[in-house]
Amino acid sequence: MSKVRSVGEEVWKHKTDKINSELLTLTYGSIVAQLVADFDHDYAKVNKQLDKMGYNIGLRLIEELLAKTGLPRCQNFRDTAEAVAKVGFKMFMNITPTISNWSVDSKQFSLVFTENPLAEFVELPDKPNARDLWYSNIYAGVIRGALEMVQLQVEAEFVSDAVQDPSLPTEIRVRLVKVLEDEIPPGED
Amino acid sequence: MADRTPIVHSSTVPGGVTQLRSASSQASLVESARKGAIYERSLQRKRGEVSESVMALVICEAVQYLQKQAKGIADLEDRLNRLGYHMGQRVLELITLREGKSAKRETKVLGILQFIHTMVWRTLFGRPADALERSTEDTNQYMIIDNDPLITRFISVPKDMAQLNCAAFAAGIIEAVLDASLFTAKVTAHTMGTPQTPDKTVYLVQFESLR
Amino acid sequence: MSYYLALLSRQDKPIYELKFGSSRQGGDGQPHFDKAMDDLTPFVVHAALDVVDDVQWTTPAMYLKTVDNFYSYMISAFVTAGNIRFMLVHETKNEESIRQFFLDVYDLYVKTLMSPFYRVTDKIQSPAFDTKVRALARKYL
Repeated sequence: MSKVRSVGEEVWKHKTDKINSELLTLTYGSIVAQLVADFDHDYAKVNKQLDKMGYNIGLRLIEELLAKTGLPRCQNFRDTAEAVAKVGFKMFMNITPTISNWSVDSKQFSLVFTENPLAEFVELPDKPNARDLWYSNIYAGVIRGALEMVQLQVEAEFVSDAVQDPSLPTEIRVRLVKVLEDEIPPGED
Repeated sequence: MADRTPIVHSSTVPGGVTQLRSASSQASLVESARKGAIYERSLQRKRGEVSESVMALVICEAVQYLQKQAKGIADLEDRLNRLGYHMGQRVLELITLREGKSAKRETKVLGILQFIHTMVWRTLFGRPADALERSTEDTNQYMIIDNDPLITRFISVPKDMAQLNCAAFAAGIIEAVLDASLFTAKVTAHTMGTPQTPDKTVYLVQFESLR
Repeated sequence: MSYYLALLSRQDKPIYELKFGSSRQGGDGQPHFDKAMDDLTPFVVHAALDVVDDVQWTTPAMYLKTVDNFYSYMISAFVTAGNIRFMLVHETKNEESIRQFFLDVYDLYVKTLMSPFYRVTDKIQSPAFDTKVRALARKYL
């Protein structure tokens, strides 16, 4: 598994065009603030929109990941988790979430983030239902979109977020729904 | 860009996850803990880097989202401008705060334009803009020139929107910095490509009147 | 010794206000403005804003020191890059402490502003902000 980690680090170091993360932090903040205004604090709708944007982004990022790493197809869902955390998040966000809380059947795991460039400066809106907002929900969509391109239908969603409560981890739960074998990958003609 | 609709929707919520969430959302204790975490973190530390692709795709998604509500290209550019405007106010104060003991306000129009050209650009795009010029015809008009703007570099505008200039986003950042500094201006982005610099963008800064 | 701090938006609307007293030399931290002055502080600050409007263009400094007087009171000002005005009504000349107080309040202000959900015209209602400002008041004034 250390091989996977070194692949992620290698791509980040030598094959990734980088920008100041604060540009992304601020841009993402503008977008989320706009969505919250547009949907009039209906956070369920905001979460859904962020997930949808993330899904579209995931479809594209996985192409870049495969092209730059030449990673072979994952043999099992545990390998997939490693690739998401140590290659995907590393090469795109320069962070490596921890994989934890595997379910007994190895079909569910959690990604736990100790740092999150998207949410650097965030204080949630002063609304009673603000805890319904998953500020970084775009990640969930990215994971869902990217894995679908490699024939894995998953559900991904936030379980807790340090933006809501600094005493809790930022945690995304990923659950394998099914392996889409021998199907034409979506997003292709 | 074609409209990409998700093909598979996740519809069911795994039971285990729901339980975890309700267990964690107990009581006002949590509420008071969440409040104020931003005040515990230093703004002095500059953050790291992320992949340019992520930034590009996030902007693409923002454009697609805004496009659905926009009444035409001018309106879409206005909305992109507002997205940037939201950032400009923040960037201005953040950069100034980080200057620490030497922090100052800009009281001259040339000073604030140079601040944008150099400090704002370096903070957001990693390098200063390529030029700052004053119009020869209109003394209330300046131009900030970027030969290879990050925002437009990786965005392929759909054919039916060939007129769209995504640099409106950066124009909004400039406009906000100027407004906040009390140098009110209208800022628009114009692509003026040359064979060497096909994406060259001119940000036209039109002041109402100069003090 | 009593103090009145006001943060004002570009439209001269207060976004944060606090009255407090000195914690130094046996002070209890509570404001002791006499009744008349207690009511007048916002007006005194607004009058001083007119001075700030002029003075701020004569210097790039953010801390403008004492810009106005009202009987025995002094009014000091700090103007941020984005033209949020921090105004302090005080009774003794104490330039260096007030400068440090303003700079630290500025740091708190920018943290507030950086959150994507805060709008520049919003009143700052975070209890954490208030607590931090009060702590700074105790530390410096």
